[in-house]
Amino acid sequence: MSETVNTPPSAASLKSIETSQTFFQIVYTQFKEHKAAVLGAYLIVFFMLVAILAPVIEYATGTDSDSQNVFNRYKPPFSKIIAPQDVRENAIQNFIRQNPEESAKIQTSLLEKNLVQPVRPEDALYDWVNLEKSKSIDALHAIETSKKDELIKMVNNFQSFHLFGTDELGRDVLMRLVYGTRVSIGVGILVAIASALIGLIIGSLAGYYGGIIDTVLMRVTDSLLSLPILPVLVVIAAIDLKKVLGGLVSVAQNLFGDTGGNLAQEMVNNIFSGGKESIYKLVFILCLFSWMTVARLIRGSILSLREREFILASKTLGATDLTIIVRHMFPNVVAPLLVSVTLGVGDSILFEAALSYLGLGIQPPMPSWGNMLFNAQELIYQAPFLAVLPGILIFLVVVSFNFLGDGLQDAIDPKTVRR
Amino acid sequence: MKNLTGLLVVAMLVAACTKKDAGQTGEVQAQATTKLTNNELKIGISQEFENFNPLIASMLATTYMQRMVNRTLTVIDADGKWVPQLAKTIPTLENGGAKVIKIGGKEKLQATWELLDNAVWGDGTPVTCDDFSLAVKIASSPNVGVGEKEVYTQVEKIELVDKNPKKCLFTYEKAKWDFYMLGTFYPVPKALEEAVFKKHGTQKEGYEKNSLYSKDPTNVGLFNGPYLISEIQLGDHVTFIPNPKFYGEPAKIKKIIVKLIPNTGTLEANLRSGTIDLISTLGLALDQALAFEKKIKSENLGYQVLFQPSTVYEHIDLNLDNPFLKDVRVRKALNFAINKEDLTNALFEGKQQPALHSITPRDPWFTADPTKVTVYKYNKREAERLLDEAGWKPGADGIRVKDGKRLSFTVMTTAGNKTRELVQVYLQNQWKQVGIEVNAKNEPARVFFGETTKKRAFDSMALFAWVSSPENTPKSTFSSKNIPTAKNGWSGQNYMGWSNAAVDKTLEALDTEMKHEKRIEMVHEVLKAYTDEVPVLPLYYRSDVAVIPNQLKGYRLTGHQFPETNVVELWNLE
Amino acid sequence: MTTYILRRILQTLMVIVILSYVCFSLMTLMPGDPIELMISANPKITQEDVVRLRAFYGLDQPTYVRYYNWVSEIAKGDLGYSRTYRIPVTEMMGPSLKATFILSMGSLLFAIMVGIPLGIYCALKPNSKMDYLVNIFNFGGISIPSFFLGIVLIIIFSVGLGWLPAGGYQTTGMQYSSLWNELVDKAKYLILPILSLSVQSIGRFSRFSRSAMVEAMRNDFIRTARAKGMSEQVVIWKHGFRNALIPLITIVAISFSSVFSGALITESLFAYPGVGRLIYTSIIGNDFNVAMISFIISIAMVLIMNLVADLLYGAADPRISYK
Repeated sequence: MSETVNTPPSAASLKSIETSQTFFQIVYTQFKEHKAAVLGAYLIVFFMLVAILAPVIEYATGTDSDSQNVFNRYKPPFSKIIAPQDVRENAIQNFIRQNPEESAKIQTSLLEKNLVQPVRPEDALYDWVNLEKSKSIDALHAIETSKKDELIKMVNNFQSFHLFGTDELGRDVLMRLVYGTRVSIGVGILVAIASALIGLIIGSLAGYYGGIIDTVLMRVTDSLLSLPILPVLVVIAAIDLKKVLGGLVSVAQNLFGDTGGNLAQEMVNNIFSGGKESIYKLVFILCLFSWMTVARLIRGSILSLREREFILASKTLGATDLTIIVRHMFPNVVAPLLVSVTLGVGDSILFEAALSYLGLGIQPPMPSWGNMLFNAQELIYQAPFLAVLPGILIFLVVVSFNFLGDGLQDAIDPKTVRR
Repeated sequence: MKNLTGLLVVAMLVAACTKKDAGQTGEVQAQATTKLTNNELKIGISQEFENFNPLIASMLATTYMQRMVNRTLTVIDADGKWVPQLAKTIPTLENGGAKVIKIGGKEKLQATWELLDNAVWGDGTPVTCDDFSLAVKIASSPNVGVGEKEVYTQVEKIELVDKNPKKCLFTYEKAKWDFYMLGTFYPVPKALEEAVFKKHGTQKEGYEKNSLYSKDPTNVGLFNGPYLISEIQLGDHVTFIPNPKFYGEPAKIKKIIVKLIPNTGTLEANLRSGTIDLISTLGLALDQALAFEKKIKSENLGYQVLFQPSTVYEHIDLNLDNPFLKDVRVRKALNFAINKEDLTNALFEGKQQPALHSITPRDPWFTADPTKVTVYKYNKREAERLLDEAGWKPGADGIRVKDGKRLSFTVMTTAGNKTRELVQVYLQNQWKQVGIEVNAKNEPARVFFGETTKKRAFDSMALFAWVSSPENTPKSTFSSKNIPTAKNGWSGQNYMGWSNAAVDKTLEALDTEMKHEKRIEMVHEVLKAYTDEVPVLPLYYRSDVAVIPNQLKGYRLTGHQFPETNVVELWNLE
Repeated sequence: MTTYILRRILQTLMVIVILSYVCFSLMTLMPGDPIELMISANPKITQEDVVRLRAFYGLDQPTYVRYYNWVSEIAKGDLGYSRTYRIPVTEMMGPSLKATFILSMGSLLFAIMVGIPLGIYCALKPNSKMDYLVNIFNFGGISIPSFFLGIVLIIIFSVGLGWLPAGGYQTTGMQYSSLWNELVDKAKYLILPILSLSVQSIGRFSRFSRSAMVEAMRNDFIRTARAKGMSEQVVIWKHGFRNALIPLITIVAISFSSVFSGALITESLFAYPGVGRLIYTSIIGNDFNVAMISFIISIAMVLIMNLVADLLYGAADPRISYK
């Protein structure tokens, strides 16, 4: 076809090219050239790390993600909350009540070392607890006590710093965002993989084979696209998974006798402990409703590819259908696939939040970015940061995934390779 | 790098926009509020409304507007007192207007209602006893889908006294003390609707479809209140104009438009941009109202936010079939472990009151007297002591265990209700501190009320509210006869499964007790058992909120089922 | 070709029938039917009452019988009454369908007219400053939920600047002196909803057209065409754009599937009396006649648009043929 006059490469040189650079190496070198894509990839890895390491971050910063402080709601970023005197004195009173002997010891050593100067000696601990944080901890280190850790923790709780402020229950927004990464990134990646896989399979089967396969698969796709989602979701919300699986348990009982039945029952109970049921429903819904656009896009592109010369050529050369689809067609449908999948990431993060309005998402108090964003909408005046922060994170994830997609498209597209 | 600069630009744009916005709202607002006159008042509501047939309409928003155009024999006023509206006086046993009689060995009650002499429909036809008879007749028909039929069917017959069309003798099928409460149904204009019912009443749903309320909803003859409907646009707005034939004080505002703004988040914006002048009680959530009140103060806007404690009672029903909850000590511990004072002060800024039991402070039956009911004040140590006593000892992770089982519950509520979800999380945290694990499981309202509570399918706790009215017998929620079971077709609202023979008996007797003081005594007896046995964890009583322009006079929130539109003719903007 | 179209229309009708049955069953499967809600509101209703009311509303019959009855009514040309509003479905849905149609088509057209040229422009200068800027804007549009954008738009343009109304579809109670006045007044109410509804689609369309166009412009025939000395315009539009069309057709056709659900949020935010909100309330309120008609309209619309898309594939790429 091509009119360019090239000296055909010798078999040996062809061989050297193929061995020196595998497909993945080519993709990798090409990908590295796309700076934004590389940055996006780093960001995604960063978010994944945050998601995995959330408990470590919680421990390292010393901020409890669940601890509430309802009298300090909606504090702006960079807020420092210092516990008032009565809270401190209550805490130490509790401590004294629980550890009367140890308290007496601490009291004497505090007085001995002249670390506090109370009006009356029995108030020594109360005086100590009202000291500034650094001073009270210094004082603790200066004396001997077996309850040191407990007291340091107490003092730490009196003063908390909130980089991103506090939310509607006075919880630390930063920690909520960190934990929210788990759900949001998880949902994003899950949907990206599920929609790509299901969409790719259904779309390519329908597009390549056509005929009755195409008709059936595409009518199913159309049906799912046009199904009214609200009643579907309400019905799913009403389904009691325990009952459904209870049916399976009785089947197991019939097949394997009582031991099998008990084992199955145990498994069912395990699955649903701690309100995990809604998570399974969430995953199911996200997978069910995410792939149709991808499937339609792939099918459209494959319909057109099917009639191209290079496909005809490989067919005449006796390539199997699988080889043709995977080797020759997939690289050519990568552009619409990647755009659709990466755009779907942002949608799914928001969709997850919408689902929790039907009780199908994660259950409180577990946070997700989408949920935090939705909850902030009514109070956008009072605490704009509650909306802006998760919004920015979602934006960053969308940007990262899309640039990653762009980079991959450039790298995989056979038309750009080695050019 | 390019990436970052783009972000910065976006961030700066957003910042610039919000700043600008804050600076300018003041001026725009000042104009919007000063030009209000009696020529027009635009009210914002956030709930859907339906057609105005008073026999069938049941949506809250329709009730809200119905009260502007139609009146009933009696209502409760903003002070919580029963007052006559279409009637001259309320008949009672004391004033001789009502008496208990025996017909065929059964005790019945007869009451004479005398209608206002000058009460007329919008077309000038007098309102007569026949209009009430027709309402009873239509509503009792099997072909009409009326929800609460009992209001009508309890009236056995309506006769004229001395052939006076304005003096009606109602015979009630049971001698119940609260007959005047149930006399709150609306009359239907006989001159217009009787023909429709005769023609289509035999057909299923025939009356509803052909009633003039559906076919010709702006017909002036359909209304007898201070206002008439001049335009209905379903899903958008209703326009009201004063009724020239109105027999009471003439209405002052020349045109009232009730506009539907479905999104509560934009109600405030609509108010500030002048699309509406007032946010009704069917509008803002409490959180939004609290935030808006602060803004009104800081920006000096010409509005005021009204808070009115209402008859809505938020609580958690405990499923008494749950093996852990069978132990009253665990139930009491759950109650002692929640700090309701802090909850209402912190989350509601004191605008909603902590609840003691099911009767709200708006009710003459209310009591907070610790000698009459058991009062649970937050007491963590008492909660811990009770749990220890019940054999629940703290486990390794802080959650209490007994016989290898964790003390774990599931609290369910309606998904998407932000306030309830906040309260839920707050409570989870408090219970965790005494070693009780509580997981959340929320469902859409339809599933929650249509399946979970109705069939008692919640495993331990259900968080929701009861809307009651003053002096309403708690029989439907307390009596063991009203425990929903498959056998009784899941009817009844005793979702706890609470069964107390003494309470059952007292509640039966309450219905026919004619003495006010004795009734109060009986209710307190029931409440004592209720607070002693803790089948329910009371949380708080809700408040109604509305935002009105400062210059509006005569507007009072009621906090009960008869909304502020009851006295719409008194509203004045000048 | 004609037989293909006929066959597809037949298939579409079949799918509509099947899906309408599915929807009908879904509606009956939803917990909390009207009688159940009535019982929970009034504990005094006895078991006999329940039986009577179920029979009254025909709820005692199995789903397929009720479906059959409903279909026979439809076949007779009677779309039935809205149980909530008690007026004929046609009378009620007509105006709101029109309102939603104007809103959705307006924003779809706007999104196509802005999004596709933007995407093509970026594709012709990939990785330029402008490309990044447009992309960032697109990502912003995709990541901001439309309810949020709507609120921000209202705060800026209605509350802050006072330029545009915050909600509604026309000035309430206004008498129009001329058609022109009416149009201007109603248009004012449409600007913000259309804007908030289309920003996301703009991002979407522009992303898809960018990627499709980038891909198309890398084909050998583009180089060939350029080498032949064709003008850049001809190369871009005749050779490049035509080859980028297939994903674009797909994506525009698919965007019809969210016409009603997408409009719901915008309609409630801007108090716009459209059919999206009506459908929502009819589902929540178990108003069968309204909900079913709207399901059928939306199903038919999606199926027909996908049929149109399939036919357009053939026009865009003559190699695609249907037997």
